[in-house]
Amino acid sequence: MKKRIFYWISGRNVKKPVVSDIIKTYDVDVTILKAKMEPSEGFLTLELNGNEDSLVNSVEYLKEYGEVEDISQPIQKKEEKCIDCGACIVHCPVGAIKFEEDFSVTFDIDECIGCKTCAKICPTKAIIVYDL
Amino acid sequence: MKTIKQINEKIKNGDAVIVTAEEMISIVEEEGAEKASEIVDVVTTGTFGAMCSSGVFLNFGHSDPPIKMMKTYLNGVEAYSGVAAVDAYLGATQANSDDDISIDYGGAHVIEDLVAGKEIELEAEGYTTDCYPRKRVSTIITIDDLNQAMLFNPRNCYQSYNSATNSRDEKLYTYMGKLLPEFGNLNYSGAGQLNPMQNDFNTTTKTYNTFGVGTKIFAGGAQGYIAGEGTQHSPASGFGTLAIQGNLKEMDTKFIRGATIPKYGSTLFMGIGIPIPVLNSEIAQTCAIRDEDIKVPILDYGIQRRDKPTLGVTNYKDLRTGKLSMELDINGEKVDKCIRTTSVSSYKTSREIAGELKDWIVNKEFFLTERVAELNTCAPKSMKADAKLVRDIIKRPPIVAKATISVPEASKILIEKNINHLPIVDENNCIMGIITSWDIAKAMAQSKTTISDIMTKYVVWASPDEPIEMVAKKMSANNISGLPIVDNNKKVLGVISAEDISKLIGHYI
Repeated sequence: MKKRIFYWISGRNVKKPVVSDIIKTYDVDVTILKAKMEPSEGFLTLELNGNEDSLVNSVEYLKEYGEVEDISQPIQKKEEKCIDCGACIVHCPVGAIKFEEDFSVTFDIDECIGCKTCAKICPTKAIIVYDL
Repeated sequence: MKTIKQINEKIKNGDAVIVTAEEMISIVEEEGAEKASEIVDVVTTGTFGAMCSSGVFLNFGHSDPPIKMMKTYLNGVEAYSGVAAVDAYLGATQANSDDDISIDYGGAHVIEDLVAGKEIELEAEGYTTDCYPRKRVSTIITIDDLNQAMLFNPRNCYQSYNSATNSRDEKLYTYMGKLLPEFGNLNYSGAGQLNPMQNDFNTTTKTYNTFGVGTKIFAGGAQGYIAGEGTQHSPASGFGTLAIQGNLKEMDTKFIRGATIPKYGSTLFMGIGIPIPVLNSEIAQTCAIRDEDIKVPILDYGIQRRDKPTLGVTNYKDLRTGKLSMELDINGEKVDKCIRTTSVSSYKTSREIAGELKDWIVNKEFFLTERVAELNTCAPKSMKADAKLVRDIIKRPPIVAKATISVPEASKILIEKNINHLPIVDENNCIMGIITSWDIAKAMAQSKTTISDIMTKYVVWASPDEPIEMVAKKMSANNISGLPIVDNNKKVLGVISAEDISKLIGHYI
């Protein structure tokens, strides 16, 4: 199963190799979707892939060194604002946006990594980003 | 052979057969054009895309005491009011007078808010005369407070449009949307087989079969008219355009929408639909035009000139698949590349417009009109303005050096030649890096001794065909004061400096 999380690592732990620790200890596959390091903290968007136990244990481990928050719905399309032009489609790095048969533009929220690129490109500002 | 009058009679009696341009394709394929022209009376079309050349004439009514409005702002967006005392024209692309808002809320957004019935802040200033003693006015209005809100769009409804890609190694923000580096995407616009102009275009005579001045149309959700050919109308090349008018008060935000193309500007998404009376088989055949029949040139927007190079030709059917394979010439090499394509206009809404117009006619709310005159045939001219290119001010021969020279040698060249930028080249005189007098100063301070330690390896360069405006933009974007000029093989031809450009500006002034 797959789980996406936002992860803050606090200042005193930024040098701790937490991501490689969970890979080694709990046999979980990790995709780093976003990483931003600042002098006193680090911010990561991670996708964890593994069985239920390994995911639970990984998250528990990560929590010892920082804060974890589930990514429930990073973006939302305002239907009344969207004109279904499709300008956003090619700018989605993970292919979460596509044209349906009837040329309406749809978002696969499960695939979304919250990068905001689509929101920046949207000519009618129809995409809301829940930034944390 | 039918007449528009007969078709209107049929509409009145509920006997007319109305189909959309999409539906017409299969009818003509199955029945043939002759039979189709007997079966079908009207074909409806639709398009919904960003149409920059849009705007509204607004009449505010007179204040007491009256004012002659000279500077007029609606929610901070300036409308041109050198028309008459209380008339103004608000253009869709007008930016906000507040720099922080600028293109995020421009003329197009005011137009949408007017249509939505929202309150708009009106600020105007005038000069006082005996007729108009008032100097300033500041009030809140809605579209209902206006005497007239007349949409008048000088250039809408392009018959054809180019698709856009980008050869450069940096992203570009264009009116065709964001273009990713190195042919990262291909953006296109237009309703293709639903496009009104395509469905009425006679490829033999290069004119339009049925519509012209005075043709009643669907404009932004209301009934409007074709006012004439649009600006830059060029039917001979398939780039016809329309000037249209309509009553903004009757329009619907579903079909007229303010938008901002990122880092380009505000624009109005305009919904236009035109009914085509099927008077004969020739018209029926034209209305059966399909996406695959409509050629779309692929242009390289990386070349920021008026005439952009055409990399190939595609069509709407292929574009709508979401990807396109093409052979590109990259640095003299033929490379097969699969480019992702996307639309920057809405095919879904185009369909809705053709459908809505069909419903209007079926419900006897809309009747066809005879055109008063055909559209003029024009061929657009280019602006007479000299382009100053890099090649025009290039100094020869280039002063360059090899990476093997010492820092003192490099500094000697800079002093002796009285220059600030020294391109470092390989044995073929191709660019490897660049050294500036600042690099030398830094090298002295840091006791560095070799050229390759101190040169800038990621070099921003210019080509001899680039306009100097582009070079100025590059310098300011990268915060640098000089660029090497290189040919297609990266061979250094010279250097262009900020001083060279400022000399030109001084000369022009």
